Amino acid sequence: MTDKANQMDKAKLTNEREQLLKDLFEGKVPKRVPISNPATLEFAVQHAGMPMDEAQWDVSKLDTVYDKFCQDFVFDVNPVATQRIPSFYQMLGSRAIVMGSGGFMQHPEVVGLMAEEYDEFIASPYDCIVEKVLPRLYTELDAGPNQKAMALAKAMRVHQDDYTTLGIIREKMNAKYGLVVVNQALTEAPFDFMADFLRGFKGISGDIRRHPDKVLAASEAVLPLMVKKGTVPNSQMFEVAFIPLHMAPYLRDQDFERFYWPTFKRVVEALVAKGIKVSLFVEHDWMRFLDYLYELPENTIMRFEYGDPKLVKEKLGKKHILSGFYPITLLQTGTAQQCVEKAKELIDILAPGGKYWFNADKSIISADSNGTVAKNLQAVLEHVYEKGRY
Amino acid sequence: MKKGDIKAEGEVKMRSKYYTTWEEYKEKYPKLKGRSESVIGPKIEKYEDIMFNFLVGLLM
Repeated sequence: MTDKANQMDKAKLTNEREQLLKDLFEGKVPKRVPISNPATLEFAVQHAGMPMDEAQWDVSKLDTVYDKFCQDFVFDVNPVATQRIPSFYQMLGSRAIVMGSGGFMQHPEVVGLMAEEYDEFIASPYDCIVEKVLPRLYTELDAGPNQKAMALAKAMRVHQDDYTTLGIIREKMNAKYGLVVVNQALTEAPFDFMADFLRGFKGISGDIRRHPDKVLAASEAVLPLMVKKGTVPNSQMFEVAFIPLHMAPYLRDQDFERFYWPTFKRVVEALVAKGIKVSLFVEHDWMRFLDYLYELPENTIMRFEYGDPKLVKEKLGKKHILSGFYPITLLQTGTAQQCVEKAKELIDILAPGGKYWFNADKSIISADSNGTVAKNLQAVLEHVYEKGRY
Repeated sequence: MKKGDIKAEGEVKMRSKYYTTWEEYKEKYPKLKGRSESVIGPKIEKYEDIMFNFLVGLLM
């Protein structure tokens, strides 16, 4: 095939994939079930046999990594997405996100906001973030003004450079493999934002007993920032605000209803009002909150980590776009046939009527040394591609 | 889904000394008033937003 014919062939493939997602996002039944690969950058690096820290520090090496990844697995959505790159975290002296000894980026439990700082935070969250929270969690920002300015300048410059390189790799993979780009902005539910890096799990759990009004006021104050953060800057065909959901399963029902749900729902509604599709990673177990999830704007994307797929499809499947459920542990422990059978089972439950996007329950971070996960994942993705047709 | 079914949040108000809107910026630099504002204004605000997304992103 000539280069031009090959390019046209891949352009046609991109168009077909774009139509799949367009239909999915609009709530129409697509030609087949769209597929995302649950394996992460870390998996892709191991799969390519490259040292982890080297591949993440020299981002240009990810060209080879992603080329092999796209060759070896069938999927629709470009895997080169926003991911944690160590360079700018290191330049800021990060305590919040660090590279572990195995080369994986990790988030230890941190406390960026003290309980006695709630009032200051409520008065102006962004001021408090700049003046108190960031210097506490990023040591290079806990310095004199000149040093702080230089640290920030270097970090932002390397951030721009590395993500520009990733952007070039992404376009190359698109052109070579006919993939679709889903442009994502990361944001959080206000309560999760207060918990994750600010008060910590232990801190926020105590705060809802000791300072409930302040927790409510802080979530309210940070809500506009979460909407702004989730607003994708450039108008693209597929704009998604990605919201991983963290704390809800650890809350009592009445605390969820009072502290978590109201501001989270308003963030989702505000984003949808701006024309942005919302994609939730429904982490851990949300089965007792399914009726709440139903209230969200139509065609909200929901990827489930746990739960009964039949019940979720019954309660949410007519209104919302469902994803997840496929257990990645099976890829480690099962035979290829067992893995494919599981995919078939989930397609049978979740695909009818459309509004189903194949993905796994969690992200696959580790590649085992004998390649079982990769082989099983290949078999599963090929099965969904071949058989997940309407 | 009808757009009217969704309750919009309203304009995001930053209320911060570290985020300057175009209107606030013009008060600080009045010589920019009336000079290609449709080009300069969005560019100034774009870099406020880039900084905002970077800093808040460090906490996610």
